[in-house]
Amino acid sequence: ERPGSGSGVRRGACQGRFPRWRPPACCAAAGAGWSLGSWGWGAAGPGLRPARSGRIEGKIIEDVKTPTPPNPSGQCPICRWNLKHKYNYEDVLLLSQFIRSDGGMLPRRITGLCLEEHKKVAVCVQMAHRAGLLPNHRPLLPEGHVSKKPKLNRYLTRWSVKSVKPIWKRGPKWCRVPFRVGHPLLMDNINYGQKPVYLNH
Amino acid sequence: PRFRFLPPGVGTGSGSEAAPPARRQSAMASYTKAAQQWATFARAWYLIDGKLQPPGKLAAMSVIRLQGKHKPMYHALSDCGDHVVIINTRHIAFSGNKWEQKVYSSHSGYPGGLKQVTATQLHLKDPTAVVKLAIYRMLPKNLHRRTMMQRLHLFPEDVIPEDIRNNLVEELAQPRRIPKRLDEYTQEEIDAFPMLWTPPKNYRKM
Repeated sequence: ERPGSGSGVRRGACQGRFPRWRPPACCAAAGAGWSLGSWGWGAAGPGLRPARSGRIEGKIIEDVKTPTPPNPSGQCPICRWNLKHKYNYEDVLLLSQFIRSDGGMLPRRITGLCLEEHKKVAVCVQMAHRAGLLPNHRPLLPEGHVSKKPKLNRYLTRWSVKSVKPIWKRGPKWCRVPFRVGHPLLMDNINYGQKPVYLNH
Repeated sequence: PRFRFLPPGVGTGSGSEAAPPARRQSAMASYTKAAQQWATFARAWYLIDGKLQPPGKLAAMSVIRLQGKHKPMYHALSDCGDHVVIINTRHIAFSGNKWEQKVYSSHSGYPGGLKQVTATQLHLKDPTAVVKLAIYRMLPKNLHRRTMMQRLHLFPEDVIPEDIRNNLVEELAQPRRIPKRLDEYTQEEIDAFPMLWTPPKNYRKM
């Protein structure tokens, strides 16, 4: 029995006409702060409650006190913490705050990032996945599934491994086809060394 | 004129007006002549670990030492190159998409004899070939190159023969700083990093 089937009628009436996250007018009347509970899923959420269980227990989780950011007037979390041009694919502690458990990015309306920072973080997360820096954020696969891809170490990979074709003819030195490394969105990062960041190898 | 290697008291008893020069301690004072000769001209064995390193940077470091350009008494004709041992060549890391894009070509000379192989395929077939070719192509294109390649020793894993291991003098620092994976961070470091954004109240952690 699917949980929340009691108010399934109301859900069914609204389905298909509004995006999932925007409440229709009928649900807005329920209260000022609408929650997923108004859709009949319950606080525990679908799938987390076993069917036909006797007891349901709720736990109130205290809000974790986060330290105040150094720039509270910023529009997105990156600007508030003054990290605008300061992170890269190797800053896994920062990137892991914006990803789901299966490795995908969280939506911008939830994290509050501005568009350009969201794109930069997405690019860094992709590069971190390809470099193998996020081993526990893998998509769910059936157990015992062994991938036939050769496991090669890489870093600063711009494009996905499956999508790239070999460069059969690179051309003469004066018009060489370069190997693209890194990503142009990260060109503005602060570089403390003397050598500039090379994107074309 | 006085013979300058005699101590100041010997010779004319009157002595000169200027004080005798103070004896300077040379940096090589603690080495015997034989030991200094050996240290200068002996062929050293260097070890480089290629794990998660780009093969081009490994090649640049090795080429300098194979030629002998890290020595102040370098001369192209004086055969002053050293031995270089590179381990873990199976675990090298290319930046970018070079594993898929880089193509190694060879032609047998006969028509239809062009063989083009991607870096992935070549690496799976022979795990030392990528580093070997990188070093071969970086060395100067003269007859010394083959001798220098004979002084290069590549091993796919960290298993080295006993006699080479006994010869090693120094392990060189890796050219690339390896970033930490997420599971290599301690729980204290993860807790010390603040949460940058507060999730909304009805947000369910995925």
